[in-house]
Formats: sequence, C-alpha cells, structure tokens
Amino acid sequence: MKNSKRRSGFLAVCIAPAVILFFIFMILPTLNVFRMSLYEKGAYSPTETFVGLKNFQVLLNDSNFIRSMQNMILLIVTVTIITFAFALIFAGILTREKIKGQNFFRIVFYIPNILSIVVIAGIFSAIYKPENGMLNSIIGLFRDMTDPILWKSESLVMVSLIIAMVWQAIGYYMVMYMASMSSVPESLYESSNLDGAGRLSQFFQITIPLIWTNIRTTLTFFIISTINMTFLFVKAMTSGGPNGASEVALSYMYGQKDAGLYGYSMAIGVIIFLFSFALSAMVNKVTDREPLEF
Amino acid sequence: MKKKFLCTILCISMAASMLVGCGAKSDSTDSGSGTAEEGTAADQEASQDTGAETPADSEADSGNSYEQYAGTTIHVAAIETAYGSEMWQEVAEAFTAETGVEVELTTDKNLEDVIGPSMQGGEYPDFIHLATGREAGLTEQFIKGNMISEVTDVLSMTIPGETVVVSDKIAKGFTDTSLTNPYGDGKTYLAPMFYSPCGLFYNAGLLKEKGWEVPTTWDEMWELGDKAKEEDIYLFTYPTAGYFDTFLYALMYSAGGPEFFDKATHYEEGIWETPEATACFDIIAKLATYTNPITPAQANDQDFTQNQQLVLDNKAIFMPNGTWIVGEMAEAPRADGFEWGMMALPAVKSGEDCYSYTWFEQSWIPAGAENQDAAKLFMSFLYSDTACEIFAKSGAIQPIVDIADKLEGDNVMFYSIYDNGVKPAMGNFAAFNAIPGVEVRTVFLEPVNSLVSGGITEDDWIKDVISASDQMRENLK
Repeated sequence: MKNSKRRSGFLAVCIAPAVILFFIFMILPTLNVFRMSLYEKGAYSPTETFVGLKNFQVLLNDSNFIRSMQNMILLIVTVTIITFAFALIFAGILTREKIKGQNFFRIVFYIPNILSIVVIAGIFSAIYKPENGMLNSIIGLFRDMTDPILWKSESLVMVSLIIAMVWQAIGYYMVMYMASMSSVPESLYESSNLDGAGRLSQFFQITIPLIWTNIRTTLTFFIISTINMTFLFVKAMTSGGPNGASEVALSYMYGQKDAGLYGYSMAIGVIIFLFSFALSAMVNKVTDREPLEF
Repeated sequence: MKKKFLCTILCISMAASMLVGCGAKSDSTDSGSGTAEEGTAADQEASQDTGAETPADSEADSGNSYEQYAGTTIHVAAIETAYGSEMWQEVAEAFTAETGVEVELTTDKNLEDVIGPSMQGGEYPDFIHLATGREAGLTEQFIKGNMISEVTDVLSMTIPGETVVVSDKIAKGFTDTSLTNPYGDGKTYLAPMFYSPCGLFYNAGLLKEKGWEVPTTWDEMWELGDKAKEEDIYLFTYPTAGYFDTFLYALMYSAGGPEFFDKATHYEEGIWETPEATACFDIIAKLATYTNPITPAQANDQDFTQNQQLVLDNKAIFMPNGTWIVGEMAEAPRADGFEWGMMALPAVKSGEDCYSYTWFEQSWIPAGAENQDAAKLFMSFLYSDTACEIFAKSGAIQPIVDIADKLEGDNVMFYSIYDNGVKPAMGNFAAFNAIPGVEVRTVFLEPVNSLVSGGITEDDWIKDVISASDQMRENLK
C-alpha cells in the first residue's frame, strides 16, 4: 500500500515537468485563442472590447476569407491525394523491387524534406521564372515560347504551389510507408506468389491492408502538416499574390493581425482549428477498419 | 536500495533541470526589470531635474550638459533597409560620445518580427525607426491605437552639439503632412527621416540610343509605348503592386492638385466618380495594357527584383521606384550603355503640373517607452550635421536644409528633380479603424496585378474602390 503510494508519487514527479510545460505552452495559448476570438483588439493595444460572436458573423460575409478557405481546402485535398499516391508507389517500388541505387533514391526523395521552406521557395523561384526559368526552358523544347507560361500568375499560381508542396512532402511519407512495408513478412508474398498473385494484386491485397494503421496515421499527419505548410509556402513563394489569388486561411489570418484586427484573426484561427479537428476526426472515422496482424 | 538511490538522483536532476529552465528565465527578467527599475529611477530623476531646471534648460543644453541622462541606456530599434545597418551603429556611437547616453541598438530587416512579440508583452523600445506602408503595418497599428508619444516639443529642442533647434533644420513641409501628424490636429507624432523622391526610373542610355524623347505628358507616354512595342520593348513594369502607392499619390496630385488629393485620401463621398478620379483610373488601366505581361507573375516579395531586372535588360522602359533602387540593383547585370534616369510622373494634360512623390521614412517613440526624454534627445540628434553625414555616406538622405551639398553620384540628379519645376507630392491615405478584409493595399494597389493579367476590368476595380472607400470613411479616425 505504502509502496504503491510512493510509486504514484514518483510517477507524478516524473511527468510533472512535461505536463506543466505542455499546459503553459500548449493548452493556455489555445484557450486564449478561443477567448480572444470574442474580443476586438489591436495586436499591440492594451485595450480589448468584448464583441461576442460578431467576428464570426463578419467572417461569413468576408469574400477574401472564403476564397482563402477554398484555396486551403484545395491544397489539402490535392496535395494529400497526389503525395499519398506517389509516396505509396515509390515506397512499394523501393521496398519490394530490386533496383540499382535504392539507397540513392531514398536519399534523393528525402532531401526536399530537410530543406528549409525558404530554400525551396528560392529553388522554385528559379524553376518557375517566366524567362529562362528551368520549367519554361524544358517546355520550350517542344513548343514556341514567345508567350512564356506564367507559373505564378493568377490562373496558375495554385498549381505551382501544389507542385512545390508535393515535391517537398513525398520523401517524408515515402520513408514512413517504407518502414512499415519492410516489416511485412516476406513469407506472405512467397505464398501468394505460389497462389499466382501478380505484383499489383500483392500490393493491393497484402501490402496496403497490412500497413493500414500506418496509412491512417499519416492521413492525419497530411491534414495537419498541409495546413501548416500552406502558410509557409505561400509566405515564402507568393506572399499571397497576385491580388490575393494564392492567399490561404493561415496567411489571411496573419495578414489580418497585421491590419490591426487581432480578435478577428483569432476568430479565423478558431475556424481553422475546428476545421482541422473535424476533418481529422472524419478521416479517422471513414478509414476505420479491423486491424490486420501478421 | 541502489535502485531507489538511482531513482532519487533521477528525480532530483529532472526537477533541477526544470528549475534551471525557469531559473534562467526569471534571471533574465530579473535583470531586465532591474535595468528597467534603474531606468525608471534615472528617468524620474531626469524628469524631476528637467522639471526643476526648465528655465535653465536651454542654458544647460547649449552648455552641452546632459547630466540628467547620466547612466541612462535607451533601446533603439531601427529597420535595416537598402541603406544597411552600420550607419545606425555609427550614429549611436556618435550620440553616446556627444551626450553620454548609452544606446542599445536592434536592427533587423524584419524588425516587426523582432520587436513585435516583446511589445505585445508590454516591453517597448524607447525609439523606433520604422516607416508606414510596410506589409506588417506595425507603425499604422500604433497610430490607430494612439500608442505613439507626441514629439512636437522635439521640434523646439536644441540639437546636441549644435546651437540650432530641430525645426530650423528640417526642410519645409516635412512636418506638416499626415505622415508626421496622423490625426490632423497640428501635433507631430512621427519624425520625418530619410527621404527619397519617387518617380519613374528608366534606362536613360536606351532612350538616348533610340533617339526617344522623355515624355512629359501621358499622351506622349502612350506614343512612346507604341513606338517601343514595335521594337519588342514594353513601356512599363513595376516591382510589386505595393510600389503603386507613391505612383498613385503623385498621379492624384497631378490629376486634381492638392485639394483633390486631400479629399480623396479622406475618402470623401462621391470622390471616385469625379473626372479627376476617372482620369487616374483610366491612366492606370491604360498603363496596365502597356505593362510587360510577365510582371504580375513576379510581383511578389520573392521575385520582385526580376521585375526590376526587366528595366536593366531593356525589356521594359519605366518602373515606379525610389532612389534606393541604385544600391539595390548595384550588383545586377545590365544592358550595354545603361544609365539610370528618373523622371516625375508625366502631366495629365500638357501645361499642367508634374508631381514627384516625396517618400520618407518615419521614426517615433512608443507611448509605453521607459526613457521618453532621452529618446527625444536621440531623435533631435538625428538632425545634427554629424548624424546626417553618417547617414548620407550610406545613401540615406535626411530631410534637412542644405542637404544638397552633401550628395554624391546619381543622387545629385535624383534629388535635384524638384529644381526643374516638378512639384513635390506628400501625404498618404488617412488612418481609419481597421475593417476586416479592407486595407489600402488590397483595395487600391493589389488589383493592378489583376488589371495587367486581365482578371478584372477597370469598372470592377472602381466599384470595389467605391464600396471600400465608403467603409473607410465611416471608420475614419
């Protein structure tokens, strides 16, 4: 009895630092976001006035906000689907097939992930440059380039962002899928081989079901990290332009803070918070399966 | 037993490391509040002293005695722009040598991100050099929140090390615009700093080589545009849409004079439907058709230098810019025979006035600053000959009388623009209480990108301007 009490006391002391820090730096600020969304306040002014849900009412009629939300959702959906597909395929190839220079490819795919977003923005600035840019020069081999393709123009800027974001994210998810794929026992593939299963059906019948838990986790990662990454990419690559065409919810929130609407930007923060929570929960629910064990 | 001992040690070390973490923080705040206390003590002493010595104040000043500031350290925060940050270091040293007041200097290219968080926590620098019109809009927020100290009295202070007062030194007109007196009540809150005539920059060598005249009216401008188009040169480009602010201000002046400018920048009802305003919109919309079409795709913070490069490469003739462009593009490759040229905005009709916007930066003292008096002393020192020379060495030109003698190189040509009948345009859009989704930049400037790429029409733009302008008027300060 005495022993278990001392034991729990010891445990409490052990986890106290983490809990206290987590509370101060995560829980409190989050609660504060919710509180501030009900107030009107400049970022630097000490006075704040309670306005209730007015910020949210205004938000619903703010066409700039709606456009930024649309852009963000477009990025989450397309970047997730494309990255997911490519990462799975590449991981499947690199773990199951015997190709030369496997390690080389692994490293090459992973490199974008360790680069800073600012560096990536610089790289893509050179790639997307209208005149003498890498992409336009390559396309110029096949078609006339007197009218260069304007990758960062209003109509194409979202496509350009998607390409850059997919390029950056593939390596990370590929490594995650590879880790779980390589733990799938070889014997399963051998026996299915004897049953006459081809590579494709092996991939869909064995590999995917057995790494399903991993896929579910990464889908949540996709949602959270894409929301964060949209802000970084937009800030570094396009500054929301031209004329707000590439503004996403987080960068719009940041801009509204700069315009002196702290409470309003916190209301945007609340919407993004609830949105990402709901989306993650939904994805989690939809992908719920009986876990398979090997 | 051994295990228990190990556990205890682990526990203690963990708790200790946490305390160390906190300890370091409380330590720093301790020392911080320590200096702050010293600061306030010295400050109070100083203010008492000045209070007691008010009659003898000027005497003390002319005697170069700054005893009341002894031991004070002011925290100066300055934005690092194309002029670099060394000049601030040198000026701070010169100030300390002159007055004995220590200066703790913070300079950064993204100053808002460096001083912003601590200001949100209530810790303000004593002196901030940061202009309005930046994307982060920190200075605007301080203006909107009435959080800037009035500095009208600085104008009558004697400059340290000299015998003249500040107002005699500052060139005429610089302390009665809305940029320095944001509330229009005749009181000065922001000090005018480095100024730069803004206008259209071009390759003078190209025009000479082709035998083209520098246009003086917009009609001549369009003619030149057509001629240039035949040689595959576009008439116009711009770094980012944000550069249209100085362009628009000067255009409003030349379309309707100071009166129209004043009404328009105060969002007067119906102002955007007047002939003057229509002339402005028409010119910008027409100019958009003469703009190099790749411009909007590069009009962001990452790629704007590529737009400036278009002028250096003779792919566009004119761009709106300021005198800092010479330093900014100093290392860039350029066409043979390139030579910087700068002109005021062409007149709307021949015979009417030409205007060139005078852009200047501002410095100010936050109302929450600890050492207000010492900061004001520092502010006055910035107009001393010593400081102006240091600034001028880096290309930063203070708006003081007779500065022309200190100019060198291209700057002589740039700053003499007003000598040839061109009128200076000053001022900006009046401050209004923040409105969700409505900003000067997004309403008046950013749509130019869409005009060029054809995303919106001129009428769409005017409609947006009118509805936004109505909201701004209702929220005028």
